Amino acid sequence: MIDGFKTMLPLAWRNLWRNPRRTGITLIVVAIGLWSILFFNAFMIAWAESSKETTLRLLLGSGQIHAEGYMDDPSVEALMNPPDQDLASALDAPAVADWTTRVVVPGVVQSEYKTLPATIVGVDPMAEARISSIPGKIAEGRYLNSGDDDSVVLGLHMVERLKTGLGRRVILMSQNAEGAMSEQSFDVVGIYDADKATEDLYVFTGRAASQKFLGLEGEIAQVVFVLKEEMALEDAVAALADAAPALDVRSWKDLNLFLASMDSYMGVFIQIWLGIVFALMAIGIVNTQLMAVFERTQEFGLLRALGMKPGRVLLMVAIENALLIGVGVLLGMVLAAVTIWSVSDGIDFSAFARAMEMVQTGEIIYLDYEPDAFILFPGLIWLLGMLVALWPAGRAAKCRPVEAMRRET
Amino acid sequence: MDPIVACRGLSKTFGKGELAVHALRDVDLDIMPGDIATLAGPSGSGKTTLLNMIGALDEPTSGEVSVDGQPLGGLSRSRLSELRLSKIGFVFQSYNLIPVLSARENIEFVLQLQGVSTGERRNRALEALKEVGLAGMEDRRPGKMSGGQQQRVAVARALVSRPSIVLADEPTANLDTRNALELVDLMRNLNREHGTTFLIGTHDVRVMEHSMRHIEMVDGRIDSDARGSA
Ligand SMILES: Nc1ncnc2c1ncn2[C@@H]1O[C@H](COP(=O)(O)OP(=O)(O)O)[C@@H](O)[C@H]1O
Ligand SMILES: [Mg+2]
Repeated sequence: MIDGFKTMLPLAWRNLWRNPRRTGITLIVVAIGLWSILFFNAFMIAWAESSKETTLRLLLGSGQIHAEGYMDDPSVEALMNPPDQDLASALDAPAVADWTTRVVVPGVVQSEYKTLPATIVGVDPMAEARISSIPGKIAEGRYLNSGDDDSVVLGLHMVERLKTGLGRRVILMSQNAEGAMSEQSFDVVGIYDADKATEDLYVFTGRAASQKFLGLEGEIAQVVFVLKEEMALEDAVAALADAAPALDVRSWKDLNLFLASMDSYMGVFIQIWLGIVFALMAIGIVNTQLMAVFERTQEFGLLRALGMKPGRVLLMVAIENALLIGVGVLLGMVLAAVTIWSVSDGIDFSAFARAMEMVQTGEIIYLDYEPDAFILFPGLIWLLGMLVALWPAGRAAKCRPVEAMRRET
Repeated sequence: MDPIVACRGLSKTFGKGELAVHALRDVDLDIMPGDIATLAGPSGSGKTTLLNMIGALDEPTSGEVSVDGQPLGGLSRSRLSELRLSKIGFVFQSYNLIPVLSARENIEFVLQLQGVSTGERRNRALEALKEVGLAGMEDRRPGKMSGGQQQRVAVARALVSRPSIVLADEPTANLDTRNALELVDLMRNLNREHGTTFLIGTHDVRVMEHSMRHIEMVDGRIDSDARGSA
């Protein structure tokens, strides 16, 4: 058996190159198929990573702390006091890179032309700049100066919809601490350029200014924190929850379910793609290999006439297919590795990202080798390829020895 | 002496009803050890069909073939493969050799199927090539050899496994006179020197002239069977 393998291997290898065109086609089909799977996998992972990074850096942070009930009904009635001693020291732990507090309440923003719903966010600009990317996205004017700054920074798209602009005034309205409506006019001092969904929703003012506007006495809506290591997420959240048992401490995974489900969406996408590529590949392999077998009917007849058993013929053709698909798989791996390497400086998606503003993505995507993917997908393609190639191999084994006697006409 | 091949009441019909072709009709034939026999007859008389039955390449519609006393009827595909491998050498009219293997590798191929060790394989293959006058050609692939040379390699391969009988179907049909005569001489010599039994289907007079036994077929029947001294 081992001996049989040793003689059949070179035979199978030579048979591969008898029809270089057909072998080439199969190789290309397998290589391109695998390449597309590996490349898209790396791309999707990088894309998701990048959009996660972007989303977390925008406002979300690694996690947030709210008063119990705020998440269900984010209103002025569900606010909390600034962190007490215990929580503050937990937030100053080494695992936490930075944190700040915000007032976040639903409200309305009104120009001479239009009234739009908005989320009013009162921030401490210095701390905010270390946690959120929005202070760095000012397209016109400036960001807020201090917590007492009673002007507003609006999103680009909201400014367009309100038909307002820098230097103009808008009115913010919201329910205040007494349950009545507060209404106050604010100067528009800055316009930020993020994605449309964010621009349409968030209106920023100073934290102390917002507290004054809402009649609060230092209450806040949330603590936002950013961790040094994403790996430590669960532990850090647990530690904070211990320090503030009465509060609602959540990681970004619980705050943004869409983002959290990205991973599994991607898995499904890759599986669908794998399915499509595999179906195409299977058709290609079965077609070319069946053709190859039909062309060699007389030869298989000869092998059978000489005394080769049907199982041996099947094994021989199976080895041919294993080599053929194996070479294609290696080619695809090299191709994918080279492609990923060639874009290792990052793919600039700034133009594309602007066009698709609804998806929050970093403008430059960095692809990385996924060692697991480079084992899993090639192995899968190789195995499945050999499996479908058993069909043509079975046909070869069925060739009758009497075919050998058939003379060419 | 027991015959190497014994056919009894052998018939083969292709197709059914109106379209049925009776390629063999009730053939009885014994081939004795050391025979070198030609199976002659017009085209379509059933020569190839008879060789197929004897070579265990196809099954008769009725009747029985025995090779070395072993009846072929009822044997599995796998057992028939083993029987061909151990007892029968083939030389076909064309497409005899595996195109991707060299002359030596083609000969070694059957030895490998028989499980002969690597070293012995090589020696026996080279020996066989020498015997058919192809020493020095061992590394040529079939595509780089003449028709006559290819047929000699086929003969060498048929002999190397030391079969009970070598069946050849129109082995000279694609050869010019010189090559055809050389091939006939070769088989004749092998028969004389090693006692190899040959059954050669042919309508080539150059071959018939050298046979010891001449079997003539007509319409799927054996018309005459004569021993001469060539
Ligand atoms: N596979 C087949 N199917 C149908 N008819 C066949 C087949 N093989 C041979 N025949 C017919 O059987 C007869 C004998 O053929 P064959 O044995 O090839 O004759 P020969 O070799 O003497 O020329 C011919 O009429 C031929 O057409
Ligand atoms: Mg014939």
